[in-house]
Amino acid sequence: MKYISKRLGFYLVAFFAAVALNFFLPRLMPGNPVQMYLAEMSQSGGKIDPQVIASVEQMFGYDGSVPLIQSFFHYVVNIFKGDWGVSFAYYPQTVLGAVQRAMGWTIFLMGTSLIIGFIVNNLLGILVAWKRGSRLDTTLTVGGQILANIPSAITALLLSFWLCYSGVFPLGYAVTPLYQPPTVWAFIKDVLYHAAVPLLAIFSTSLGGIMGMRANMINQLGDDYIVMGIAKGLPEHKIMFGYGARNALLPVVTSLAMQIGFMLGGSLIIEQVFNYPGLGKIMVNAINRRDYPLMQGILLMTTIIMLSANFLADISVLILDPRTRTQSMKGKK
Amino acid sequence: MNEVLKVEDLCVDYITENGGYVRAVDHVSFIIKEGQSLGLAGESGCGKSTIAYSLMGLHRPPALISNGRIFLNGRDILSLPQKELRAVRWSEVSMVFQSAMNCLNPVVTLEKQFFEIYKYHHITKNRAEARERAIKLLNLVGIPAERITDYPHQLSGGMRQRAIIAMALALNPKLLILDEPTTALDTVVQREILKQIFDLKNQLGFSILFITHDISLMMEFCDEVAIMYAGKIVEQADCKTILHRPNHPYTYGLKQSFPSLRGEIHYMEGIPGVPLDLKHIPQGCRFQARCNKITCICKEKEPVRSNTDSGFYFCHNPLKYEEEQK
Repeated sequence: MKYISKRLGFYLVAFFAAVALNFFLPRLMPGNPVQMYLAEMSQSGGKIDPQVIASVEQMFGYDGSVPLIQSFFHYVVNIFKGDWGVSFAYYPQTVLGAVQRAMGWTIFLMGTSLIIGFIVNNLLGILVAWKRGSRLDTTLTVGGQILANIPSAITALLLSFWLCYSGVFPLGYAVTPLYQPPTVWAFIKDVLYHAAVPLLAIFSTSLGGIMGMRANMINQLGDDYIVMGIAKGLPEHKIMFGYGARNALLPVVTSLAMQIGFMLGGSLIIEQVFNYPGLGKIMVNAINRRDYPLMQGILLMTTIIMLSANFLADISVLILDPRTRTQSMKGKK
Repeated sequence: MNEVLKVEDLCVDYITENGGYVRAVDHVSFIIKEGQSLGLAGESGCGKSTIAYSLMGLHRPPALISNGRIFLNGRDILSLPQKELRAVRWSEVSMVFQSAMNCLNPVVTLEKQFFEIYKYHHITKNRAEARERAIKLLNLVGIPAERITDYPHQLSGGMRQRAIIAMALALNPKLLILDEPTTALDTVVQREILKQIFDLKNQLGFSILFITHDISLMMEFCDEVAIMYAGKIVEQADCKTILHRPNHPYTYGLKQSFPSLRGEIHYMEGIPGVPLDLKHIPQGCRFQARCNKITCICKEKEPVRSNTDSGFYFCHNPLKYEEEQK
């Protein structure tokens, strides 16, 4: 399909733009990571001779001998080769290794809360739109808005205080340290036990989605095809889901991809509060330690996740909305 | 002949914000017999569509049926529980809506929209059979069979309206309500589609309630015509009477507002003023402010029903046709 390849092309351009920004921005900032690293070394070990400096610079690829543009191409090529450099903060781990390990946890945490949030928000949104004006409607929309508008840091801290410091749930980590789960089930249980409160925190901040779905749904319910659906004698659930929700969902799916971006941003705070070893957590570490290669690696991974999510959203809208399909067919001609 | 639809003393109110109400349909009664077609004409906002919606129980708050009964094939549909009402809808009475453009579910193919009707009315759960039935109906209204897999946005406005008509006939209803079915279409397509509907009516034997403000279209197609003004039927008679010897000044004015297709070109008289604001109903006749035949009594007493050969009218000073009587 031409439409898909067009979108794919667009995302490729966006990807390269992100890579370029990723590369040049840190280099435009004063100071470089090697200096940072050396400063740290000198604090602990007194003087360092220039030879060591030169070799460290070379090791991390920061010697001034190569022009910037050349090292950029070098960087791009290395990205595709899977060589994302070496992390300072987690030395001697490679950036790719550190990012991959953290990414698994973040995707698990964000993905799960996104799916739960999507289902719950939309079902509740559909329900309150159907029963608009009722007490349930007021409670859920106002309550959802309030919860969603509390900054995630505060929600996370409160939940952590109530549920974790009281000893009901663990204070940190994705799994119990040094624990060897005997079975897969025990492992899953352990993971869920650690993820429960962070999930709850993310979920509560995403409850504003009720409002969005409610508004979409009410818009749809006023449309003529709904009246015709009722006139056709279709049962209520068919009107509610097959007619109203089916159409109200379209803009929500598009915004879902955007939500992933917000969530990745939010993971910075959530993972910090709950000491969860995801991308957000190592990002904060990387920033604190001026670990540029790792920062770049994380940002790159974030970009990739965002773009893939957008692409998936594009495709699902294509599947859900026949009108976009014809547009793509027109593009073919 | 059997009475397919009998409306008795129907009142529909719209509840207003401040707790009051506006009576959009005021003690309306009419009967449609088997195979008959009744036209319901009037200006915008006179309550035509409100009647249509309440006939199928489609009125939603703030609309409220406050009085009267509606008998469909002898059954009082206002007292039916939801489940039975659902079963009656479309199978006994179906409706072609005003806005053909937006009446089909935009994300579902025609085939599925037909299938839904058959499925939920327990006709068939077999997709192939539903498809066959749907194709027959589409052919009836002149849509080629292969278009059945199309989505609504792939059809033109006229085709969508035709598809809706085909759907409306899916369960062989006894009564078809046409609520300004052709306002969204141009004049040529309008006539063509109406002709098709009325041909089908003769073929299949259903009755029609035709709602429009285009009185000339109505004259062409309907057996009987009811003229509504401000929530009331002010005159009802057969087509010929309305066309040649209307009794109510409003009917006359409405008729004079449309150019005739044949004959000499006349000056269009029209009706002065604006439709009555239903929040402020004056004492006496509702049409008084716009009537050119107004006398003192019109401002004091509401006119009572006067029966004629083919219908009735509500007027103190009906138009007289002396030259013909001589």
